[in-house]
Amino acid sequence: MSTLVIKDLHVNVGEKEILKGICLEIKTGEIHAIMGPNGNGKSTLLSAIMGHPKYNVTSGSILLENQDVLSMSVDERARAGLFLGMQYPQEIPGVTNSDFLKAAMNARLEKPISLFKFIRTLDKNIEELNMNENLAHRYLNEGFSGGEKKRNEILQMKLLKPQFALLDEIDSGLDVDALRVVSDAINSMRSDDFACVMVSHYERLFELVKPTHVHVLVNGQIVMSGGYELVEKIDQEGYEWIKELGIEMKEEEEKKPIILESCGKKESFKNE
Amino acid sequence: MNDFELNCSYYIVFKNQECIQSSLPDNVYYHQHHLVFENQKPIEIQVIFLLDDYIDFSITYTFEKRTQVNIIETKVLKNHAFLHKTMNLKEQAIVHIFNENNSNHDQSKMKEDIYLQRDALCHSGYAELSNSSIEGEYSYYLDGENADAQVRMAILSKENEQKSFKVLIQHNQPHTYGQMDNYGVVKDKGHLTIDGIGTITKGQHGSSSHQTNKIMVFDSECIASANPYLFIDEFDVKASHAAGVGKMDEEHLYYLQSRGLTKKQAMQLITYGYLKPVIEVIDNEMLKEHFEDVLSKVGA
Repeated sequence: MSTLVIKDLHVNVGEKEILKGICLEIKTGEIHAIMGPNGNGKSTLLSAIMGHPKYNVTSGSILLENQDVLSMSVDERARAGLFLGMQYPQEIPGVTNSDFLKAAMNARLEKPISLFKFIRTLDKNIEELNMNENLAHRYLNEGFSGGEKKRNEILQMKLLKPQFALLDEIDSGLDVDALRVVSDAINSMRSDDFACVMVSHYERLFELVKPTHVHVLVNGQIVMSGGYELVEKIDQEGYEWIKELGIEMKEEEEKKPIILESCGKKESFKNE
Repeated sequence: MNDFELNCSYYIVFKNQECIQSSLPDNVYYHQHHLVFENQKPIEIQVIFLLDDYIDFSITYTFEKRTQVNIIETKVLKNHAFLHKTMNLKEQAIVHIFNENNSNHDQSKMKEDIYLQRDALCHSGYAELSNSSIEGEYSYYLDGENADAQVRMAILSKENEQKSFKVLIQHNQPHTYGQMDNYGVVKDKGHLTIDGIGTITKGQHGSSSHQTNKIMVFDSECIASANPYLFIDEFDVKASHAAGVGKMDEEHLYYLQSRGLTKKQAMQLITYGYLKPVIEVIDNEMLKEHFEDVLSKVGA
């Protein structure tokens, strides 16, 4: 059994503090659900664990089997067993899915995987996830629909077999059938050697992938933890009842007006 | 000497101004700096140029009507060498040509003039990953209706290399098609300039001229410039251009690293993907492997 321990984690984006002392302990074999209103720090928590350079950890610690995760680079974290299924996976033109997946699998292996074994494993997983068989030759996420991107994240999780998978709104953009396929895939990974932290707004995902622990994250702090009953309560009543408990909730992020940028070239001519 | 490898059954090797080795198919001749293709069936041929210091060499290729030729060309040019190549494509000639520069010396120059007659097609890929400073000028003249020229470049400039390229596609007849996609990567203290020029002269209605020039910059001391020019003297045409110089996308790097690739591996994968379209000019597995190998050796 492995453990991921997050202690009093404070995270800033720029000057602004987003996470204000998160404590969480996740053991392999467990599935944790994190819920909370928009803009309160759920995605920030997952990205900070993975090490996105935009998120600056100002204090606290993250330990994976007593190893200091915060001192590791992003790729070291991945090789140590962390995986982040992203809310908005990047589109990378020119890089084919197969070249990328092979490189990612080999990054964990002492001896590179044989081409035969790679193709066999990839084909099997593509079929299980009901994905387009041309996927291997397509550029990484380029031109993929929202649902295809999410399935591609799950495909990577299945191929890379992490110990701790962090899934950020993996259900957004999925139709009913795709949600079932993705849930089956997550359930098929469940074992004593696998843990998952899922962020979602919807009960449907948690109905299909039953969490063992549920946390509510509000204003950068976990304000409540419990079992599946919390999911049901939020689904029925929203988050208003949390305010009534005297917990302050952060309003949605400020909306900024869209400014149409002027043409850079023309501006430079003006200065000549 | 490992400057080149012969992998095709047909080839011709030039050392300075002499042909030193050749195996040519039927109806392909070489005589006094002139390579003539009259082949009835499609062929693939390798052409190698080895030029010593201060050597100038001029050569002309002529592709007769309806010939179909794939050429894999390798250049190894020493200091101040100059290679000038002229290609004449007669009616309906179809030529795919992959150019690779394996030079390993200070400075050299290349000039190419390509003339296309009616319905001729020339698709060229230039892989410019050499360890040298290079000046290249490639001009395509669309001299017959429906002539079609497509150029792809993949350039890497690193250390103190200075590379500059000028690619011109000039439309001299109506209904002609020109497209160029020039991609560059600059590292260390490398310099790179790409000028893409599309010219449609008066009366050449129904023509299309498209170009993209992009340079990815790795380090703060790199100097890069991508300049698109379109000179259009006719109304009924299609034309477009795009140019950009920028850093590798940090979010792309983060995504790949979050899957366990080191920063170096991630950069290599992105660079390979960025420059790879150049090898698609000719469908040849050997080219692909070789290109990958060269890219990884130069640490791009």
